[in-house]
Amino acid sequence: MFALEFPPINEILRWTDVVPSVNKIALIAIAAVVVASVIFLIAGNADGSTAPRGVRNLAESIVEFIEGQIIMPTMGRDGLGWTPFLLSLFSFIYLCNVPGVIPIIQMPATARMAIPLFLSLLVWVIFIGVGFKHQGIGYLKNSLFPPGVPAALYLLVTPIEFISTFLVRPFSLTVRLFANMLAGHILLVTFALLTEELVQGGSIVLKPVGILPFFMLVFLTAFEVLVAFLQAYIFTILAAVYIGGAAHPEH
Amino acid sequence: MEAFSILAQLTDEGAKAAEAAGSAGFAYGLAAIGPGIGIGYLVGKSVEAMARQPEAAGMVRTTMFLGIAFTEALALIGFVVFILIGL
Amino acid sequence: MLRAVVTNGPNGLEVFLAADSESSSESEYTPEDCEFAPDNPEAFTGLGDCGAGPSPILPEAKELAWGAGTFIVFALLMRFFLYPRLRRSMDARYEAIRAGHTEADAMRQAARSEVATYESALAEVKAEASARVDAARAQLEQERGAQLAEANERISARRDAAAAEAAAAHEAARAEIGSAVAAVASRTVELATGKAPDAATMSRVVDEAMSAGVSR
Repeated sequence: MFALEFPPINEILRWTDVVPSVNKIALIAIAAVVVASVIFLIAGNADGSTAPRGVRNLAESIVEFIEGQIIMPTMGRDGLGWTPFLLSLFSFIYLCNVPGVIPIIQMPATARMAIPLFLSLLVWVIFIGVGFKHQGIGYLKNSLFPPGVPAALYLLVTPIEFISTFLVRPFSLTVRLFANMLAGHILLVTFALLTEELVQGGSIVLKPVGILPFFMLVFLTAFEVLVAFLQAYIFTILAAVYIGGAAHPEH
Repeated sequence: MEAFSILAQLTDEGAKAAEAAGSAGFAYGLAAIGPGIGIGYLVGKSVEAMARQPEAAGMVRTTMFLGIAFTEALALIGFVVFILIGL
Repeated sequence: MLRAVVTNGPNGLEVFLAADSESSSESEYTPEDCEFAPDNPEAFTGLGDCGAGPSPILPEAKELAWGAGTFIVFALLMRFFLYPRLRRSMDARYEAIRAGHTEADAMRQAARSEVATYESALAEVKAEASARVDAARAQLEQERGAQLAEANERISARRDAAAAEAAAAHEAARAEIGSAVAAVASRTVELATGKAPDAATMSRVVDEAMSAGVSR
């Protein structure tokens, strides 16, 4: 009889170390940095005086995407100085997400807690630092005691603002990226296992049925490509919103 | 006799695991309701806005993604709870 | 301590009890093969008995360190090396394009002013040409009028002369006919009456009859 045995979750996420203290996640992170650096290095070396082609076109499209779609709507022209940081954030997250759909690798580095946690803590530190740098101690006042609220309501508003600004932001930033990539990875594993069980084990009747989860697997892989991009975009745009909001108090 | 007690213990653990998996599924199902409705409503309204004012589509889309990101966070927290309880 | 071993044999489920030492020595795996130490190393039979490991949502120190290190290196590289190079050449190209645009605008402006100069010169020339044409036409008109008048005059003079000549010939013919008629009539009257009529009376009567006939 056929029975779907789902492997323990650690088996589909953890890998034994390649060399001591370097596992697959670390390798993916290194590969992401190397690939992104090589792309931008080649783009920087290419002739910039004519219309961009190939790798340079790709790099310039990313830069213009970051400037036009992420910085301009959220931070305005003042935020253009943040382009290198947000550019590296976006490229790094995308290149860590996308191995989830690359055959043989099949593991998004962001489906482990470490990288999303580090990145959102970094964003957290940066936006608080930017807030204090631009507004001084008034940053705490502006964010904890928003102007235009009746004094009696501060009893209620201040704790909520504190939790939502300083605690929930990094938490949701981490969990959003991590859980999206982990959920996608588990979905792919599930349908791959289902296909394998139906085709390899079980009766002859069930073998053709295996085509159904296989199509679902192909569709989900295409969907994961979209999710990888979308999560990198959302993480970056939220970082831009938080930094922009800290730099300019709401009026 | 000792073997039987071990077997009984095993089945007891199995029952606990099944119970945990069931409650995890239940928790995730509950957590997915609200965000599902919320995202549907949000995207529907955004499409309406884009259809009314196509020239503002870029801004609406950016805001829509931000709203989806915030709404979706609830479902994702449910998913994390699902993993914590069930696996 | 005994262990219950359940196997799926040819005769259905088989349950037998085994001592720990025997089963662990039979297994091809040892607890060292596990990534996580088994909860109970004494009861180890295979990889299935390996420990579950830490919770999947806990960050691992080595991953944290590698992720942080690589990202920081990448961000610094991007901030100080990769992005400025790309940005510089992008800015240079945009600047060149903008310069090209302004140059093109200036050229278009210059061309437009040249076109305006040309048009004004053209209009001047055209006006002069039309003035000349007008003058020439007027002169021509005048000459033609003069020639026409002269020709008309000549024609009318000739016509007058011809008319006078015709009238004279007419008169001569008439006088000739009248005298002939008068001669015939007086001869007829002479033959009839035997007496020649008065020539003056005869010519008056013939004249009257002829003019009555002509005028009738």
